[in-house]
Amino acid sequence: MSDAALTHKRSFLSLFRLSLTLLWRDWAGGELKLLFLALVMAVTSVTGIALFTDRLEQALLLESANMLAADRVLSGRQEVPRQWITEAASQGLQTAETISFTSMVFSDTANLLVSAKAVSSSYPLRGELIAADEPFIRGIPVEGGPVPGEVWLESRVLPALDIDVGDSIYVGEAELRVGKVLVVEPDRQQGGMVDNAGPRLMLNLADVPVTNVIQPGSRVSYRYLFAGDEDTLDVYGAWLQEQSEGQSRLRDVRDESEEVSDALNKAESFLLLGSLFAVLLAGVAIALTAKRYSERHYDYVAILKTLGCTSNQISVIYISIQIVLAAIAIVVGWFAGWIIHHLILQILSSIIVVDLPPASFQPFIIGSLTAFICLLSFALPPLLALRHTSPLRVLRKDIDQTKIGAHVPYIVGITGSVFLILWYSQDLVLTSVLVLSVAAITLFLSVVSYLLLRSSSSVGMKAGSAWKLAMSATRRRRKQNVLQVLVFSITIMSLLVLTLLRTDLIDDWQAQLPENTPNHFLMNVTQSQVEGIQNFFDENGIEQNIFYPMLAARLNSINGEPPRSRFFDGEEERGNITERGAQQAEQGDADDAVGQESASEGSDSTGSRGRRPTRQITWTDILPPDNQVIAGQWWDANTPAGMVSVEADYARQLGINIGDEIEFEANQQTFTVAVQSIRTVRWDNMQPNFYFIFSSGTLDHLGATYLSTVLMEQEQKILLNDLLRLFPTIIVIEIDALIEQIQNIIAQVTSAIELISILVLACGALVLLSCVNATLDERFRENAILRTLGAGRKLILTSLLIEFASIGFIAGIIATVGAEGSLYYLQEFVFEQDFHMHYWVWIAGPLIGMVVIAMLGINSTRRVVNVSPLNVLRQL
Amino acid sequence: MIRTEKLTKTVPTSEGLLTILKNVDLDIAEGEAVAIVGESGSGKSTLLGLMAGLDSPSSGDVVLDGNSLVALDEEERAILRGQLVGFVFQSFQLLPSLTALENVMLPIELKGDPDARNKASNLLSRVGLEKRWHHYPNQLSGGEQQRVAIARAFASEARILFADEPTGNLDTATGARVIDLLFELNKEYATTLILVTHDERLAEKCGRKIKLVAGEVVSDRKVEEITHE
Repeated sequence: MSDAALTHKRSFLSLFRLSLTLLWRDWAGGELKLLFLALVMAVTSVTGIALFTDRLEQALLLESANMLAADRVLSGRQEVPRQWITEAASQGLQTAETISFTSMVFSDTANLLVSAKAVSSSYPLRGELIAADEPFIRGIPVEGGPVPGEVWLESRVLPALDIDVGDSIYVGEAELRVGKVLVVEPDRQQGGMVDNAGPRLMLNLADVPVTNVIQPGSRVSYRYLFAGDEDTLDVYGAWLQEQSEGQSRLRDVRDESEEVSDALNKAESFLLLGSLFAVLLAGVAIALTAKRYSERHYDYVAILKTLGCTSNQISVIYISIQIVLAAIAIVVGWFAGWIIHHLILQILSSIIVVDLPPASFQPFIIGSLTAFICLLSFALPPLLALRHTSPLRVLRKDIDQTKIGAHVPYIVGITGSVFLILWYSQDLVLTSVLVLSVAAITLFLSVVSYLLLRSSSSVGMKAGSAWKLAMSATRRRRKQNVLQVLVFSITIMSLLVLTLLRTDLIDDWQAQLPENTPNHFLMNVTQSQVEGIQNFFDENGIEQNIFYPMLAARLNSINGEPPRSRFFDGEEERGNITERGAQQAEQGDADDAVGQESASEGSDSTGSRGRRPTRQITWTDILPPDNQVIAGQWWDANTPAGMVSVEADYARQLGINIGDEIEFEANQQTFTVAVQSIRTVRWDNMQPNFYFIFSSGTLDHLGATYLSTVLMEQEQKILLNDLLRLFPTIIVIEIDALIEQIQNIIAQVTSAIELISILVLACGALVLLSCVNATLDERFRENAILRTLGAGRKLILTSLLIEFASIGFIAGIIATVGAEGSLYYLQEFVFEQDFHMHYWVWIAGPLIGMVVIAMLGINSTRRVVNVSPLNVLRQL
Repeated sequence: MIRTEKLTKTVPTSEGLLTILKNVDLDIAEGEAVAIVGESGSGKSTLLGLMAGLDSPSSGDVVLDGNSLVALDEEERAILRGQLVGFVFQSFQLLPSLTALENVMLPIELKGDPDARNKASNLLSRVGLEKRWHHYPNQLSGGEQQRVAIARAFASEARILFADEPTGNLDTATGARVIDLLFELNKEYATTLILVTHDERLAEKCGRKIKLVAGEVVSDRKVEEITHE
C-alpha cells in the first residue's frame, strides 16, 4: 500500500473513530436521544405491526380457510370434468371433494330429513373435524372423515332416530354404521341450502353410489376443495378459467362470505392506515430532531473545517453517525417490535384459536428499510446541509448558515413519504389521493394558522405581564410557530382520525352482530304454521322475532319503462343472506352451474322479456331494525295499500325516486305501486333484509310463505328435532357457526386495531415532544436574558404556559376541523361507513391540544427557571 | 509566506454595499510575528478570516505559501488549512464533546498520523495540562481551555498561526501567561504568527504592527521602530 493510500485509510479510520466519539458523547449529552427514539419508534412500529399483521393475516387466512376447509373452492350443481381435478393434483395442489344433498334417513323406529355430506378421504384440507363417541359432548379433533361403511351424525340426530353410536341406519339403499358423533365441521356454512337445511350426516364419498339417492334432477351440491401455495393456486385458477372459457372460477372466503370479507378488508385498510400514520409521524419526529441536531452542530463543523476537514469528510462523519445510530436503532427496534407483537399475541391468545405460523423475516427487512428510508428522507437533508457550513462561523456566530436549497429537505421528505406510502399500500390511486389530501390539508392549515397567529405589529417584548409577554413571543416567533402549529395540528389530527375511526369501526362491528343476534333462519313457513311455531317457542322460553311474509316478485317497469341498471350488465351486487336463502328455498341451490356467479339471479335469461330482476319482497307495518328512512315517510295506520319502500342503493342504481310508479309481477299477477319511502339497510347484520317492502294490504291476497329468525343457544338446539317433527315442511337454516366465526374474526381485528392505535399514539407523542424541543434553544436564550434582567420565575413560567397553551389551542381547533374533513372522506369512500359529526371532539380537540402542548412545553422549558441564566447561556 | 494583493471585502446591506476592507496589500515573511490592531469594526477579524482562507474576498487575492486562495475552492482551501495553518480564537473553539486530549489529537488524526496520542499528550504536557487530559472543555477554566487551543494549534505542525484576540476572554494575569506560552511555542516551532488584537501591549510583543482604520491599512511598521520613536 502506498504512503498516500495508507494516509488516506488512516484518515478515514480517524474520521470514523471521531464519528463514534461524537456519537457517544452526543448520546451521553442527550442530543441524540430523541432522534434515536424516533428511529426506534419507526422501526418498532413498522416491525411490530408488520410482524403482527404478517402472522395475524396468516392466522386470519387460516381461520378463513377453515371456513372453506380449503384455500380455494369450486362449487356447483354439476360434476366437473375429471381432468380438472387431476390437473390440480399434477400442479402440486392438495384436493378433496364433497357432495351435499338432502335425504331421509331411517332407523328401526324413526326417520328424519338430514343434510347429507359425502366427503373424500383427504377432507378437510384446512381446519379440522371434531368428533365424539357419544352425543352432546365437546369431542376431540380427528384425522379425516368417516371411512366407507360408516356415517357420522350430529348429536341431535341420535335421539331423533332413537339410536346410539355403533347402531346402523339406512341412507337410501345403503345400511351404514354410526361411527362417531360429528361436533364441528369447518365448512358447515359454505354449502347451499342443502348444507344447512337439517342436521348433518357425514358419509364417505365411496358410499354415495351404494345409497343410490342421487338421481337425475336431485338437488345436489358438488364442492371441489384445493389447498396449496398462493402462486400455484393462482396458476391453477387461471388455467381453470381458460379451460371453462370463463364459466368457472376458484373462489376464496372473500367470495363466499361478504360479511367476513368486509371485516377483513376494513381491518386491512385500518392497519395500513395505522402503520402509515405511525411511520409518517416517526418521520416527522426524525426530521424535527435531525434539524435541531444539525443546527446545534454548525459550530462543530466550522471548527472542524478550520482544522482542515473538507466538506466530504464532514459528510463522512455525519453519515457515519447516522448509519451507526440507525443500525443500533434497527436492532433495538427489531427487539421492541418482536416483544410488542408477542405482547399483542399474548393478549389475543384467547381469541386466536389457530396455531400461528412462524413469522417470516420480511417484517424485519421492512423495519430496517423503513429506518434507512426515514433517515434518507427526513434526517439526511438537514445533516447534509452541515457540509456547507462556513468555517467563518468560528469568527462570526451571526453568519447565515448556507443551506442546500431551502426546498430540498421538503422535496426529499415528501418524496420519501410518497415512496413509503406507495411501498406500504402498493396502490398508486390510494397514494395519489392521500398525498393530494395531505398537501391540501397542509396548505389549508398553513394559511389558517398564519392568519390565527397574525396580529397587529407591536414594539418590544411586552415584559410587563405574563399574558402580554406570551402574546409578544407568539408574534415574534410567528414563522416558527406556524410550522409548529402545523406539525401539532397534523399530529393531533392523525390521532383524532385514528381514534374516531377506530371507535366508529368497532361500534359498527359490534352493532353488526350484537351478542343476541338470532342465529337460525326459519323459512318456507306457511301462514297456518306461524301461530303454532310461535307457541312452540313461547313454551320453550325462546325469544322470537317478526314473521315476514315473503314472495318472489319480478320488477317489470318503473314509470312504464323497463328497469335499467348496471346490476344487470353482469356486475355483482351486494350480498344478502335473505335473498340467498330464499332463492335456495325457491329455486334449489344458488349455484346453477359449477362456479357460476350468482349475478344473474332472478333473471330469466335474455329472452323476449329481457333481463328483469326478481326480488324477495315482503310487507309489514313495522320498519325492520337496522333500516332507516332517508327520503319520504314510513307508513302509518292511515296509509292506503299500494305503497312501497325501496332500499336506497338499489333505488339509486335503478333511478327510483319518491312518487315513482313501479310494476311488479308475482304469482302470475301484475300490480303497480307508488314509492312512498327510500331507506338504508344494514346488509351485513345477518338478519332478514329486503329491497322492497310493501304497505299492508297490497299483496295479502297473493299468498306467501313466512320467514323469521330465532336465537337458539347450543343447548337449545336439540329442540330443533321437536320443531321439525311438528312442522316437517319448514326449513331451518343454521347460521350459528357462521356468526360465531365472524364474531371471532371481528374480535381479533378489533384488538389489533386497539393496539395499533396505541402505537400510533406513542409516535404522535414523540412528534409533539420533538416539535416542542425544536424551538427550545431560542426560548431558552430569550428567557435566560429576561431572567438576567430581573424577570421572575413566575412571570417566565406563566408566559411560557400561555404561549404553549395558545399554540396548542389553535392546533387543536385546526386539527379538529381537519380530522372531521378527513374522516368524512375516509368513512364515505374508503371504509364505506356513514359519516356523522363527532360534536364532543369540537370541544375535546382544542382542549386536548391546549393541555398536552402546554404540559409538554412547560416540562421541556422548566430548566430555564431552574438553572442559572449563565449556565443556560453557556450551554447554548 | 503570506501576501495580500488589493484585498477588498464588501457586503450587501439595505443601504447598498458596505466596504469592510479596501485594497489591502501586505507581505508577511516566514517566521515573522505580525500584530493587526485597530478598533472594533476596523476589519481586523475580516482580514484574518481572508488570510486564513476562511472567507473569500470580493476582489483581490491572498497568496499563502505560494498558493493563490482565490484560485482554490472551499475543499482545496480546507486541505491547505489542514497542512499549513493553526488557529487560536478568543472563544477557544474547542469541541465540547471531546476531551482536552481528543481535541488536541484531532488535527493530527485528520492528517492520518498514527502517532496522534503521543504527540497530543506531549503538547498538553508542554502547555502544563498533563493532569487535565481527560477533562472536557466545560470542566476547564478559560485559561486552561485557551492552553488546550494553543496545544491544538501547534499539534498539526502548522507553519502559520492565526490568533484572534487570544486573551479577549481571559483576565489580565491569565492572559499574560497564555501569551507568554503562545510566543514561547511560536519561537520554538518557528511559525509565522498573525495576531489580531486591540491590546497595544500585546501587539508590542510582535515584530511588526499593522494598524487598520475603517478597512484600510493606515500604518505598517516594525515594533522596534515604533519603540524607538
